[in-house]
Amino acid sequence: MSIANKYITWLLQVLGVLVSLGQFALLYFLFDIDAISAAIDSAISVITFFITIWGVTQSIRLYPTRVGLTFYSLFIALFFSIVMVYTSSIMLNLWFSYNVAYSDFIQESLPIRYVIAWLLFSWYATYTALTKNIISQEKKFKQQADTSTLLKEAELFKLRQQLQPHFLYNSLNSISALTAVAPERAQEMVEQLSDFLRSSVKREATESIPLEEELAFLRSYLAIETIRFGDRLNVIFENKTNNNSSMPPFLLQPIMENAIKFGLYGTTGKVNITIQIEELDELLLFTIRNPYDPDSTQPRGTGFGLNGIQRRLNLLYARNDLLSTFKDSDTFTTVLKIPQEHV
Amino acid sequence: MYNVILIDDETLARQLVESKLRDHKEFNIVAQCSDGFEGFKAIQEHKPDLIFLDVQMPKLNGFEMLELIEDDVHVIFTTAFDEYAMKAFEAQAVDYLLKPIKKERFDKAIEKFKQQQNTSAPAKTFSEEVYEGYQHRIVVKDNGMIRIIPAGDILYIEANDDYIKIFTEAGYFMKKSTLKRIEKAFDPKLFVRVHRSYIVPVNQIIRIEPYEKDSHIALLKNNNKVPVSKSGMEKLKSQLNW
Repeated sequence: MSIANKYITWLLQVLGVLVSLGQFALLYFLFDIDAISAAIDSAISVITFFITIWGVTQSIRLYPTRVGLTFYSLFIALFFSIVMVYTSSIMLNLWFSYNVAYSDFIQESLPIRYVIAWLLFSWYATYTALTKNIISQEKKFKQQADTSTLLKEAELFKLRQQLQPHFLYNSLNSISALTAVAPERAQEMVEQLSDFLRSSVKREATESIPLEEELAFLRSYLAIETIRFGDRLNVIFENKTNNNSSMPPFLLQPIMENAIKFGLYGTTGKVNITIQIEELDELLLFTIRNPYDPDSTQPRGTGFGLNGIQRRLNLLYARNDLLSTFKDSDTFTTVLKIPQEHV
Repeated sequence: MYNVILIDDETLARQLVESKLRDHKEFNIVAQCSDGFEGFKAIQEHKPDLIFLDVQMPKLNGFEMLELIEDDVHVIFTTAFDEYAMKAFEAQAVDYLLKPIKKERFDKAIEKFKQQQNTSAPAKTFSEEVYEGYQHRIVVKDNGMIRIIPAGDILYIEANDDYIKIFTEAGYFMKKSTLKRIEKAFDPKLFVRVHRSYIVPVNQIIRIEPYEKDSHIALLKNNNKVPVSKSGMEKLKSQLNW
């Protein structure tokens, strides 16, 4: 677009010179005006032309309203052509005040001067308005492209989060152990791990899925963690919804993983994690509570998963108040809100 | 016969090592522990020849636990961390095993340990660069108890022969370590070695006054004073952008 802008600036200058030359020729040859007066007349005209054209450009650039763009630019053209002709006539009258004949000529020629100015300005104003329109549309288009790139990035990010190698390797290690100590449970764990992996690659990160499906995914993840950590881990579900809600997939698992890490590595002994699900106004509300020890600082990497969630929520809903965390003396609480569209 | 202790918070992970050790009759498991505290106690009690140690564990992680143990100890790390992190402590351990642990790799580690025993190579001490990031706390022994001191509670640290003295509002704690190690382990933006024998948290400094030629003295909160050497002053200047 910058090339077109340069082009129009250049074209305007040529046009201005051409029009003033034309004016000079017209005055000199057709109306038999002396060369000096003709030159001064066209010079004053071209100067006022350039000043008012600048005014037109600024007005179009500031185009403020939702009024039709064409209508607005024609109005601007009308206004500025009057301004131009009026100012130039004042200047000419001042200049030629000693020459009554020429003053009368100016007075007579005002309508034709006005028509020419009006035509030029209308063309220029609509042209500029349209260009501006195209630029803003291109911008919008680019913005959309950027957003979709970001979404894709987020999706990749999510996948990396999902298939945390750490989690996978530990699970495989557990399976390896089970084949030695309890082969039948090894089979069970392989099945659960493949369920988990399958659902984590099956879905698009952008679509919305029923709450139930997301909970099933979470349960398959928890089944694996329960085998790994045995009796230490206990997750309590309190679902107070009627399961009509929907949500973007893969949001709960990283939050739960964070809660487990925090709970299990921060404390010894049994760890109770509760997940409460409610519908509140137009929100689906998740409250996840895990015990933690304020004295032992968090394990490295904690919060990273939550940052990913925060980023996705921001992309999906353009809000950053949907995920929040609270600490008190021994409980860490994560609250996730999902706006419901169907309400 | 070698006495072995397994330390891992996952029961199954310990069972895997246990099952793999069955092929090596000369190893005898004397204790299994699920966190660093238990591990520390068991090592004091049994004085094992070898420990299998996970890194990420409740309360006290594997590295922190090792810091507390003053006797030489042979360690094989078992962890799901990738090699990048593993490299950091490669040099200090007998070996390290990546989860899921492979039989072949496990046997090789055992072989390596036995060789070291035969050549009576001294066990390596764990002194440097075992952390991938900066530490946010420091673990000390306090009357046989383990005490975790958050970095924010440290007033200053003083060198004392082979030991360091960590000053907090609850008094000072001794730990077998060096200032060099502490300097590396903590974020240099927060902790500055202001003197050959002193490390000070930047946020404890109230003001710095000239003392003698080329040296200064730092006034800390709680009315503590710590000498600042010429090079210490330069470090402070570059850290604080003075």
